[in-house]
Amino acid sequence: MNMHARVLGIFFSAVLVFSVLSSVGHAQEPIVIGIPTSLGFLEGRESLSAVELAVDEINAAGGVRVGASKRPFKVESIDLRDAAPGVPVPEALLGLEKIILEKKPTALVVGPFRSEALMAGMDIIAKYKVPLLGTIAMSPGSEKKIKEDPAKYKYVFRTCLNAVHIVKFLAGTMAQINKEFGFNKVYIMHQDVAWARATAEFVKTLYFDKAGWTIVGLESYPTGTSDFSSALMKIRSQGAQVIMPVFDMPQSGTLVKQWNAMKVPAILSGFISPLAGAAAWKTFDGKIGGSTNMIFELGSGIGSGKYPASMTFYDNYRKKYGNEIQAGHGPAPSYESVYILKEAIERAGSLDPDAIVAEMEKTDRIGVMGRVKFDAGHQAIFGFDPRETAVSTVFQWSDSGRRVIVFPDTIAEGKFQLPAGLKSLK
Amino acid sequence: MLIGTIIYAVINSFILILLAIGFNLAFGISGVANFAYGALYVLSAYVSWILLTLLKMPYFLSVTISILLTTLLGGLIYRLVLLRVRGQALSEVIATFGIGLSILELFSYFGMVGFEYTLPVFIDRSFIIAGTYVDAQRLLIAGIGLVLVLGLWLFTHHTSIGLAFRGIAQDERTALTFGIDSDRIATLSISLGAGLAAIAATLIIPLGSIAPAEGYDVLIKALAVCIIGGLGSSGGVIVAGFVIGFAERFTDTYIGSHWTMIISLVAILLVLVIKPSGLFGKQKELEERI
Repeated sequence: MNMHARVLGIFFSAVLVFSVLSSVGHAQEPIVIGIPTSLGFLEGRESLSAVELAVDEINAAGGVRVGASKRPFKVESIDLRDAAPGVPVPEALLGLEKIILEKKPTALVVGPFRSEALMAGMDIIAKYKVPLLGTIAMSPGSEKKIKEDPAKYKYVFRTCLNAVHIVKFLAGTMAQINKEFGFNKVYIMHQDVAWARATAEFVKTLYFDKAGWTIVGLESYPTGTSDFSSALMKIRSQGAQVIMPVFDMPQSGTLVKQWNAMKVPAILSGFISPLAGAAAWKTFDGKIGGSTNMIFELGSGIGSGKYPASMTFYDNYRKKYGNEIQAGHGPAPSYESVYILKEAIERAGSLDPDAIVAEMEKTDRIGVMGRVKFDAGHQAIFGFDPRETAVSTVFQWSDSGRRVIVFPDTIAEGKFQLPAGLKSLK
Repeated sequence: MLIGTIIYAVINSFILILLAIGFNLAFGISGVANFAYGALYVLSAYVSWILLTLLKMPYFLSVTISILLTTLLGGLIYRLVLLRVRGQALSEVIATFGIGLSILELFSYFGMVGFEYTLPVFIDRSFIIAGTYVDAQRLLIAGIGLVLVLGLWLFTHHTSIGLAFRGIAQDERTALTFGIDSDRIATLSISLGAGLAAIAATLIIPLGSIAPAEGYDVLIKALAVCIIGGLGSSGGVIVAGFVIGFAERFTDTYIGSHWTMIISLVAILLVLVIKPSGLFGKQKELEERI
């Protein structure tokens, strides 16, 4: 009897110890966030850094509550190279599938750089049921797919803005320029990728055509173009007062250099990736005074003193990495996405993708780029007031190298100024 | 517009010529494939940037060191890699392309992508030529391009080493019987080719920025110009440079910029169909070179 009791006692003790050890091990098992994007590009690289900032903050505060335990986040990344010229979409998607199969992430953040890759990748995401919070690719086509087949594509969300919102902001900027200076002749130049094509076309049809502007040219440029002399000569010869560029490729900085060297008397106002960050002043030898540039999400590339959360994020990034955010698109929604994911997991109480998706749809948080909520197409809602929606912004380079936010009015710190060498028509 | 387009077409032509003469020297004249050419172009630019921006060295010292280092690296590539696969054309291509790929991907891996990676122009000024603003850097490219092409022609036609280069390309065995050390000449041709790539980078990079992806572009453009002009022909490089340069700029101005990128590829196709050895090429079996 004594022997029996002893054996049973040892057995049950072992079971108890094993259970305790297992639960301790489970509590420490990290929740993997996958970051598949073009890491060789500024927006991709800084978006990854923003994710890591958020992950460090959350882990330092104890991690993510999943049921009764708390677990840390862990970041795994892969370079899809989909933004590099000449990389075919199927090749980029191999990387997406690889990170899902090898790293088994609970969710993906940032996602493909190019909309072409995102659209094609949605089937992979649906196949493996991994929620994605996209923060770079901007084509509204993804929302259409989600609305048409929500059961299949519900796992895809977009925290950054889409091309529709860019159109609103660019149209708003042009309207301001027209109102302030009377300019009404524009040359539109855009990169030959889905989001830029759509943006240029929509601004043309929804604003310029309706407002009676004269469009002296509309040109698309393949990714990698490095000579814009023909367009700049046309702009000069046909008297365009405004150049609206829509580019995210690094080579678009050549346009700025040529615009300056050829002394083209027109205001540059649109989105050129190399012009977004504070370092652009030094990069272009201070010759960009007067040009305006859009920042796709407040907090990416610039913060506003009128919205402290954006400045806090911007400053924390600088403290962690030693330099300011240079990308005008990607970092703020990437940072935000990690918190959105955390809160969704905590509300769901599990890592089940369907449960996480159901909670992400209910997101309503005040974050670094404004108030974040998703619409029926899983697109974060962007508007003009950070208390109501997420916001973008437009800033103008002053002649002293300062970036002054000039649009929208809710966060503007100054008004549009006429660049030197140009005359107002009013 | 027409005059302006012609001016920028001439400049574009010299940019293409500058990009191609180093490749033409190595591949066309000495028959040695160096598909790391584009990577060496980008590498020299990054070296200049590091010396100039991070180590704060004077400009001319930085670019001189960069050009010399790249020249040396070209020679090392031949001595350490190509020597072992000499004569096996496909292996030469694969080996050098692999080296080029590694160099370019290393820069991408270290995140050295962005518009802050650029080089300063020599003279920060613009001039008006026939009513068109042209920056001094572009004029310098045209001038130095012309000097380099003439210099290369004189070198390959009126110096013993240059004649040796051409001898090796014509018939290596016969050249050997004349006492020409083919490995030494090949080392020199790859080195000089790499040096010319570095000079091209010093002149052209200030127009834009340094990017790893540029390496692939440079290789394609150099290959296009050399194939169209005819491998081994300096005159062919000039003519091909002008053909493609003018085609690109006029396409951009009068048809559409999105057609520009395919011009080089269409030009290669047309020339290969009509005259497989290139406009001024003398080789009959072009496929053996590729």
